[in-house]
Amino acid sequence: MTFKEKIESGTFIVCGEIGPPKSCDGDVLREKSKYFKGVVDAVNITDNQTAIVRLSSIASAKILLEVGVEPIMQMTCRDRNRIAIQSDLLGAAALGIHNVLCLTGDYQKFGDQPEAKGVFDLDSIQLIATAAKMNSGFLLSEQEMKKAPDFLIGAAANPFAEPFEMRLIRLHKKVKAGARFIQTQPVFDMDIFTRWMEKVVEMGLHEKCAILAGVMPVKSVKALYHMKKEVPGVKINDEYINRLENASDPKEEGVKIAIEMIQALKKIKGVRGIHIMPVMWESITPTIVKETGLGII
Amino acid sequence: MSFEFVTSGKPPISPREKKFSHLLLFFEDVVKVPVFGCQHCGECILSSTAFICSQRCPKRMRNGPCGGTGAGGWCEVYPERKCVWYRIYYRSKILNRLNLLYKINKIHNWNLEGTSAWLNVFMKRIDAPIWFVRSDKKKVKEMLSDDVQRKN
Repeated sequence: MTFKEKIESGTFIVCGEIGPPKSCDGDVLREKSKYFKGVVDAVNITDNQTAIVRLSSIASAKILLEVGVEPIMQMTCRDRNRIAIQSDLLGAAALGIHNVLCLTGDYQKFGDQPEAKGVFDLDSIQLIATAAKMNSGFLLSEQEMKKAPDFLIGAAANPFAEPFEMRLIRLHKKVKAGARFIQTQPVFDMDIFTRWMEKVVEMGLHEKCAILAGVMPVKSVKALYHMKKEVPGVKINDEYINRLENASDPKEEGVKIAIEMIQALKKIKGVRGIHIMPVMWESITPTIVKETGLGII
Repeated sequence: MSFEFVTSGKPPISPREKKFSHLLLFFEDVVKVPVFGCQHCGECILSSTAFICSQRCPKRMRNGPCGGTGAGGWCEVYPERKCVWYRIYYRSKILNRLNLLYKINKIHNWNLEGTSAWLNVFMKRIDAPIWFVRSDKKKVKEMLSDDVQRKN
């Protein structure tokens, strides 16, 4: 069953995430993909995340396809105008990549080349609409294509950034534009996420798209402090910081927190799946998936 | 696709109109630059963003804030500034214009950059401003249910 069929059929979904290397070494991806093969339903391939140059997401997604892992290609608006976006989407479709996650992209200031020009010709919602339009057989120029691509369009949502209600409006617009699955930012505050999910169910959006809750296993308390201070739009409950700080083995505690969180998220109404984001810690994914009884193993 | 999201380039801008557009832009600037911080996108959506220019956003977002709005509504790129969309949301709430935030704004037509938005409205290149909004809550509900009907 492909990822698209799984999203449409209503089974519980588990996604992973791989960051491509900062070099042309494709073996890094093949090595990392071992942790995900047969463990998760699909794997996100980030597109130059935090505005640092990496192996392109299209090439990385193709490498994953070759080793038998279904990729979800991220596509950001930071580096491409509408011409390049449509061209890259067509290229991806030709290579057999059919899952696209549409994002606006991190601002170039946060990367290692802050002097770069950001494009931002489209925003994420317009990118979703563009991909949906291409699915219907037309380019933005209204020109009809001989063969239409068949993308499963995804989008991101951040329930933890302010203002709370505006996040729901954004989600509504994304679904209206054509998003079929939504991956949220990592959950580190259950109260806000529960409240957000209640509203999503109230608006009936969980029936029109699959909501995949983000979970990030962390190795140390330093990572949490870093996220709290440096990453805007992230809310972290002090409970997790205290637990990691007092733990004798922070790595083990980090896994324990992730497992507990997944079990709690599974029970929330409207959550259709889990998106595991093991940043720089891909090897932990099989353990988490096995312990929580998720996935295809 | 049940909604339009590309601004049509029609009618095309003639050189004569461009000259007139520049003249009109001078008068438009007198109001829009000091009051709204106009960025001359030529495709004004001020009326649907509670009269705060969304183009002052570093990412020039036209459809709501990115995921980087920090606690208290500060911009991630310029931490000393408030996120424009944070301000737009709260002002829309006060002015009862929340239903306008549900509308998907079109992709920016860069041909209109630096032209007079007033003239573009007159020439029917872009949507006319929405001045008054009545029964905001009812309209928000309509926006939500409209979507269900579309799916069925």
